[in-house]
Amino acid sequence: MLRLTLAVARKDLLLTLARGNGLVQALLLGFLLFFVFSLSQGIGEHTSPQGAATIFWLSSTFCHVLIFSQLYALEEVNNARLGLLLLPAPIQAVWLGKSIAGFSLLLMAQAVFLPVAIVFLGQNLSGALLPALLILLLVDTGLCALGSLLGALQGQGARESLMSIVLFPLLVPLLLAGISVGSQAFGTLSPDGPGMWLKLACAFDAVFLAAGLLLFGFLYAGDE
Amino acid sequence: MLKKPDLAHILVVFGCLAVACCQWLVYVYAPSEVRMGFVQKIFYIHLPLAWWALTSFLVVFLGSIFYILKRAPGVDNLCAAAAETGVLLSGLALVTGILWARKSWGVWWTWDPRLTTTLVMWFAYSGYLVLRGLDMPGRRRNLVCAVVGIVAFLDVPLVFVSARIWRSVHPAVFAAKDGGLEPEMKLTVIACVLAFGLFWVGLLLLRKRQLDLRDRVEALKNMA
Amino acid sequence: MLEMQGIAKFYGDKAVLENISCSFTAGSISLLIGGNGAGKSTLVRIMAGLSRPSAGTARFTGEAASSRSRRTGYLGHATFLYPGLTALENLRFWSDAGGMDLGEDDLLAVLGRVGLAPCARERAGVFSRGMAQRLNLARVLMPDPDMLLLDEPGTGLDAASRVFLHQEVLAARARGACVVLVSHDVAADAPLADRILLLDNRKLAFDGSPSDYDAAVRAEGEPCCA
Repeated sequence: MLRLTLAVARKDLLLTLARGNGLVQALLLGFLLFFVFSLSQGIGEHTSPQGAATIFWLSSTFCHVLIFSQLYALEEVNNARLGLLLLPAPIQAVWLGKSIAGFSLLLMAQAVFLPVAIVFLGQNLSGALLPALLILLLVDTGLCALGSLLGALQGQGARESLMSIVLFPLLVPLLLAGISVGSQAFGTLSPDGPGMWLKLACAFDAVFLAAGLLLFGFLYAGDE
Repeated sequence: MLKKPDLAHILVVFGCLAVACCQWLVYVYAPSEVRMGFVQKIFYIHLPLAWWALTSFLVVFLGSIFYILKRAPGVDNLCAAAAETGVLLSGLALVTGILWARKSWGVWWTWDPRLTTTLVMWFAYSGYLVLRGLDMPGRRRNLVCAVVGIVAFLDVPLVFVSARIWRSVHPAVFAAKDGGLEPEMKLTVIACVLAFGLFWVGLLLLRKRQLDLRDRVEALKNMA
Repeated sequence: MLEMQGIAKFYGDKAVLENISCSFTAGSISLLIGGNGAGKSTLVRIMAGLSRPSAGTARFTGEAASSRSRRTGYLGHATFLYPGLTALENLRFWSDAGGMDLGEDDLLAVLGRVGLAPCARERAGVFSRGMAQRLNLARVLMPDPDMLLLDEPGTGLDAASRVFLHQEVLAARARGACVVLVSHDVAADAPLADRILLLDNRKLAFDGSPSDYDAAVRAEGEPCCA
């Protein structure tokens, strides 16, 4: 299982980063969102920390949808999905491998989005950074667990737009957690602190990692 | 058409009668609320809608699990019927909830956990219905929908908790110790929920039967 | 090795296969023939476990019973290749994913067997149909599968590659593999086969040795539209 996972993750990263147009499309879309939202600031105004955190997570989510639809489209070109199904290893390894690849790509994109948020939306990182980093990793884990599960819809005739319709409502708890802790990192004072949100993100990750592991095999299959 | 009335028809008719009778309880028997006056009567419609919408989604969830384990086509139609009913009822619950919020809290929309959860569910299951409409081979689509039906319901408690952490202002109806409701009001609410339940079961069964019939017609058309 | 009982397959309400029962033993070559749309590919996909039969059972017996220890080599109409990866990288991925420990030299040797060593570092996306099919063949043969399912493997292959294909099929039988070969070119492939299965009108119309098949053809004219 582990070897298939690593093989899939390595192959996906190689194909995305070294061949084809890679992350460009996803990065541009995210970048564009930042730019458009920066228009909501009046002259001499700064976007509120919460607004900036919201735009950051919105860009990340769109980017994440593009990443996963791209990752699952790789198998559909020459039907390699069937080849993966024939391997003598649990098919969940594919889900895990693509989650790992998507997680790495999303982190790379966010490494670009963060400075963009600081520059275009006039933010500074004046809050607590450790919980912010922790929530970033937790939210990304949840995003990728669910994205990798529903990304498998790609091969079943569903396009990116449909994937977002199904995915976005489900991501609401995670996004609230990311936005709340993110705005604290950008300087909002919160009496409650990030504790509750960290717990919530952990719960979300646990539920959807388990769901991905259990349900992926039903989505990613040959024909019925 | 109605040569031999079956359970679904009987339930729908009795449900309608019961809901009509409840109107007497609502407008004559139950006392008027002191602070909100007449508008409070919305509550007797809103609560049954919201409860039975959530029950519909629970039916989708349980049906989806059953479908994945047993692959019975009838269950899939039940899920479809329940999702349609749930989206309809939760949509109506949202409208009544918005009217209530306007009168009670002075704003059309607020991040109340229950309203938010209902809205997110409405989004998620609308997406689910779009997915059902996709052109996929029948059994493949059923399986994909079953997975999404399960995942969407797993999200309900997380959405609820996250919206509660975000901001909380809902009046606790039965959770608080004194309840905040007079006995007559409580009786009226319970009667409304039960009456609407009859109607709901009838509607669900009727829609499921329609879908079963549609499948049979399709099968006959293909055979011809 | 593989026993099939009463297999039927419907797409929606359209029947593709009806009541197919046959079994396949290790160390044999079975040639599966039939006209277009006779259900050959569907049957092979059911054997591979890629498609679930609507009725009936397909059961592996003996050592192949556990899916973990069984190595199925399936060559279908799609090549399963990643166009963005080079020939070598494609093979390396499938070797890693399948849990085989093949070094670069081993992989180059596999490519050499199908005559693709010179273009090992070229992307599969620029390959011609025949080259892609040869690479696909290399992928299928690489793990020495004990169940080898070849759905029209000759497509796009030149004469030299067909000879190689025949050699490999015979070598697989000698190794004890169960080979099922779907073909339209009965004249060329029948000499290899221990057994011929003819699918006609969704049913198994003939199941026997090549000599019996020839006799049947002579007796009834042309029973097969291949």
